[in-house]
Amino acid sequence: MPEVETGGGWFGKALFAPIVVLYGVFLLAPISFFLVMSVFKYSPLELYIPTVTGDNFARLLGESYYRAIIFRTLRIAALTAVFSLLLGYPLAYFLSRTASVWRGVLMFLVIAPLMTGVIVRTYGWIVLLGSQGTVNKILLWLGLVDRPVKILETELAVLIALVHILMPYMVFPLFSSLAGQDPNVEKAAKTLGAGRIRTFLEVTLPLSRSGILMGSALVFTLTAGAVVTPALLGGKDVQMLGQTIYELVLSILNWPFASAVASILVLCQFSIIFLYFRGGRRRAN
Amino acid sequence: MRTSGTTRAAPAAARFRRIAIGTVITAIYVFLLTPIVIIVFTSFNPTEANTFPPTGFSLRWYGKFLDSPGFVDAFKFSLWLGVVSAISATVIGFLSAYGIVRFLGKRREMGQSLALLPIMIPQILISISLLLALTLVPFPELGALIVGHILISLPFTIAGILASLEGVDEQLELAALTLGASRLRTLVEVVIPLIAPGLLSALIFAFIVSFGDVYIALFLSGPGRTTLPIEIFSYMQWESTPVVAAITTVQILLIVALGLLVERMVGLRKMMRV
Repeated sequence: MPEVETGGGWFGKALFAPIVVLYGVFLLAPISFFLVMSVFKYSPLELYIPTVTGDNFARLLGESYYRAIIFRTLRIAALTAVFSLLLGYPLAYFLSRTASVWRGVLMFLVIAPLMTGVIVRTYGWIVLLGSQGTVNKILLWLGLVDRPVKILETELAVLIALVHILMPYMVFPLFSSLAGQDPNVEKAAKTLGAGRIRTFLEVTLPLSRSGILMGSALVFTLTAGAVVTPALLGGKDVQMLGQTIYELVLSILNWPFASAVASILVLCQFSIIFLYFRGGRRRAN
Repeated sequence: MRTSGTTRAAPAAARFRRIAIGTVITAIYVFLLTPIVIIVFTSFNPTEANTFPPTGFSLRWYGKFLDSPGFVDAFKFSLWLGVVSAISATVIGFLSAYGIVRFLGKRREMGQSLALLPIMIPQILISISLLLALTLVPFPELGALIVGHILISLPFTIAGILASLEGVDEQLELAALTLGASRLRTLVEVVIPLIAPGLLSALIFAFIVSFGDVYIALFLSGPGRTTLPIEIFSYMQWESTPVVAAITTVQILLIVALGLLVERMVGLRKMMRV
């Protein structure tokens, strides 16, 4: 059909014009520029002074205040990823193996909280974890404590809420890698005499490796960039990288330093994407 | 026989296992859903405190919500922003998805990964960079907010529309073209009607993404263009009365209703690519 193919050339290119302009002009160009600013000098009068300097990074890694924030962020991000995995794996495994008629509903209930947005779920945890909150009421009623314990404004509160908010991002890649497995492989292991636990540890778990990597990478980077949840649940003592960037840009107006802090986030992201691609790509479904 | 022992033990063991699995899974769902359910209950609380269980039933906080112009305006603005950015993200997403499916050939995989680029980038970075672009190039600030929302919802509209386009037989389009229809006419009269549910789902999902967003709006909202999540965020930094519960309950109901609609039409899993 030669006459059908002609005209497809310009038409095919025109289809991509909006997205190319959008990503090029509003995504890649500004982000590149923002990150380049990390090696420029700060000026209180201008956005930056175009003199190349390593001051921003020296300050970021040299001052104990910022080092503490970096370590706290990495610690919370790693813990969030681990706990999301511990809770997300049984859930994803169950959803991928169950024959229940409720499977669709159960899947919807994992996605639904995600759609309500970060603010809604963070507020839910404020209600639950406050000194008058449900968790404290239950603890008092059980007699485990004799007066309300402080949970809000601690790292624990931030961790609990972040695990809750980001866990669905762990469940989806796990679910795809578990649901994509050939059921005969598990059957073969069992026929050959492996018990349930051994089949799981030696067959199912290794085969879901790409899902584990992808999910952990997603949760880790999303946690590392969190602003709203630590700001509302963590108080002054649980400052994370995201909040630091927020304050540097909106109150202190030190763009070059903000850029240096942000490049830590980007570095995390890149190393994790690198790990992920080395760990094997997710199978196309 | 040796197997008789195991077959007798099996039902008890299987039952135990089923109960254990059921308990663990139920506990995980309780964890996932409690914070949301609790908000709905708190919104009907008659007192100032964010407590659960509620001490009575009242619509006081809903009244308070409707009486506070800040929240009502933010709600309206979020609706408007959601509609505008969802329409744009669906149109751009449709064009891109169609191009990926029909015109990339072997490079399709790569095109698809590139199209989903914004989900690989921390949203705070997208937002700051747009703010930076604003300070350098004169550009309406509202435009930057809309662009930001289009950027974060595009990967989902593209994923959803790609899934729908895969179900379209290319022969139908070729037939229309052979019969003399132009490319554009084929698109409008053949392709779009065939994937209408997919397009509508993409539209709704993009709206949901925009409506729930806080990171893009964190840096790009301002007087007259404050989204609901940002208004709630600023309010909560100072006080937290159940008025927030009332507003977020409205938001939860709206989002869940829209989510169910998408689930009915093409399935949410396709939008999330799982």
